[in-house]
Amino acid sequence: MRTSGIDRRTTLRLFGAATAGIAGAGALGACAPSGGSTDSGGDAKAKNFGFTSWSLNEEATKAEVNKIVKGWESGHKAKIKTTAYPYNEYLQQLTLKLNGGEISGAVHLDIAWLAAIAQMGKLVDLGDVAGEGGYTDVALTSGQYEKKQYGLPWTTGSIGVIGNQKLLDEAGIKKHPVTIAEFEDALRALKELKGVTPYAAATKVAQLKDIFPWMQTFGCTILDGDKVTIGDDASIDAVEWYKKLHDAKLIAKDVDRFDARALFGQGTVGFYDDAVIGKGATLATAKDKNLADAMVPVPRPVLKKGDDPQALLWGGVLAVVKGEGSDSAADFALHATSDVPTAVSYFGKTAMPPTTAKGLADPKVAADTFTSDWTKKITKTATPGPFWAYAKNAQIEEAVAKQVQAVLVGQSSARDAMKRARDEVTTLIKE
Amino acid sequence: MTTLLAQEAPAPAARRAHPAGTRRPRRRPDQIRSSVAAWIAVAVIGLFALLPLYWLLVTAVSPKDQAFQFPPKFIPTDFTLENFRAFAENEALFDYMVNSVIVAVLTSLLSVVVATYMGYSFSKFRYRGRKSLMNFVLASQMFPQALLLITLYAVFRQFGLLGSYTALILSFATFTMPLCVWMLKGIFDTVPDALLEAAAIDGASRWRTLHTIVAPLAAPGMIAAGLFAFVRGWNDFIFALTLADKDTMTLPPGLVNTYIGEFQTAWPALMAASLVVSLPVVIAFMFLQRYLVGGLTAGAVKS
Repeated sequence: MRTSGIDRRTTLRLFGAATAGIAGAGALGACAPSGGSTDSGGDAKAKNFGFTSWSLNEEATKAEVNKIVKGWESGHKAKIKTTAYPYNEYLQQLTLKLNGGEISGAVHLDIAWLAAIAQMGKLVDLGDVAGEGGYTDVALTSGQYEKKQYGLPWTTGSIGVIGNQKLLDEAGIKKHPVTIAEFEDALRALKELKGVTPYAAATKVAQLKDIFPWMQTFGCTILDGDKVTIGDDASIDAVEWYKKLHDAKLIAKDVDRFDARALFGQGTVGFYDDAVIGKGATLATAKDKNLADAMVPVPRPVLKKGDDPQALLWGGVLAVVKGEGSDSAADFALHATSDVPTAVSYFGKTAMPPTTAKGLADPKVAADTFTSDWTKKITKTATPGPFWAYAKNAQIEEAVAKQVQAVLVGQSSARDAMKRARDEVTTLIKE
Repeated sequence: MTTLLAQEAPAPAARRAHPAGTRRPRRRPDQIRSSVAAWIAVAVIGLFALLPLYWLLVTAVSPKDQAFQFPPKFIPTDFTLENFRAFAENEALFDYMVNSVIVAVLTSLLSVVVATYMGYSFSKFRYRGRKSLMNFVLASQMFPQALLLITLYAVFRQFGLLGSYTALILSFATFTMPLCVWMLKGIFDTVPDALLEAAAIDGASRWRTLHTIVAPLAAPGMIAAGLFAFVRGWNDFIFALTLADKDTMTLPPGLVNTYIGEFQTAWPALMAASLVVSLPVVIAFMFLQRYLVGGLTAGAVKS
């Protein structure tokens, strides 16, 4: 009996066709470019090469980056083929096209992606070239993976705490809080001011990875070799403390980095977390054009005096793909990242701090007290993300963030949530 | 039905007069309640649909500091056309727009032409493997796009087509073709076989029958299918980003590349650009909506 437009025979045909299609797609997929090859081929000494970066198209950076490219082309009688992808799609596109052998020359990488790309085996070890750059130690570290220098640091900073000095003064906070206890006192003083969010900490999953430096502040190592230490007493203390701030309304609900900047831009936030470059983004949308004068870098408070303030390293490196034009691309990467006039000009237009000792000492850079203070007080002790070496870094961070949020909304105790986070992360890093 | 309604509806003058014995029956409280509930539901659904458009417009004409105001202002007090001026002065965006027009129009044409022949074949001819082929076309819709993206990337790479309009048009047509084929098959099904037989008796070849008799009858459906393919080609982001290069980049990835950065998103400028680039699609819908509705429903009910 036929009861509808699709009978048993049609269904079987449909499944047959779908199976055949999937088999066909699988066969074609098998023909897809593999990651087995470690060399995209071509003449390494070729003068012309490619350059891939998200900064080539972004409004804030494109003019300056294109100036560097044009300068190299005219100075070396060479042609650079530029390619840009949006930042949020960059890693996915780069992975696909590196595997396909479509990308050669210099590639711009977020330092959080370096490990994942280096594991593909397509990058040149730039150890010899890096010695000529005069980079700071922390900058050099940001371009290393498994003790090899795969990236030359283009910009090195960190994600730390920014304060509104005007509000701190209004709240009667005489000096920046050094310890957690002093920080809590400062937040309570700020709460007395009308309409002020004392600390616009991340409370949305998208940015709750900001909890990691606080966990480290409380003494959790997060990762010890391959062993995940989330779930230990220190991590539980950190999350319980975060929950205490949340319940006392010292931090606000549903805040991510963009919300925090918008609120800070309106002069209603005492402290928030951001990268050094975030100052520009905040000021771009601020109504009070004098807010820049009130923005101060604040080292993250520590558990007890004498501890190192925790901060997450942030920045970008230029790596070089093995194959066509790799020698010239390495020279270009060295020039773009370490030539002092180039780095200073780049800093002047984009506020991206230089990565060399000479660049940081340049009068034009040193005159920017916010950046120089940030470098001395915050970047100095910044450390890489604990899970950057893992391909599933994003899923790992999200897994922890979801558990922290479960604690904030009262769905779980900190102990149970961190135990679950540890189990999930352990599974993810083994996959 | 029109006649019946005309008979039932009293003339306005008669409604006002309310002569004895013809008074409108008073509505019961539960009828009023359900009517109010229905209007509230319509208003909520209307808000749900129109609020994003309103917010797009408000953000597009707001200065940067107002766009980011918290809590947001639903009725803006300051207006600016700066974001539209910036869009007009950006040459790269104009190039992306030209690329989008080329790719969307050619995708639309390719889809309609191929789907017309396929749909006609499925509808009016009987041959071995016809049903399997029809199901195969339908089954191609079951694949996740991400799977096809990697596969198509590999295929186009092998043929040296990466970065070309051809790669974009063929990949977009991969998604538009199945729906177009089934849409047009449904429309051809409604064309009586007697018409084709009459054409054959008059000496028309099958080729001529399709082009001079059937195709004009199916024109609304072909326009609807073409519009669907055009919108698909116009809006695609991930395939255009992966398969195009700097010279063939279309608007969706171009806009993201231009306005959404690592640290900030230029929302007012992005909203202004989105408003401008959505205009061609809106205009196309305004002119062709009667064909679209007619074409989509033509094959839905068989006599």
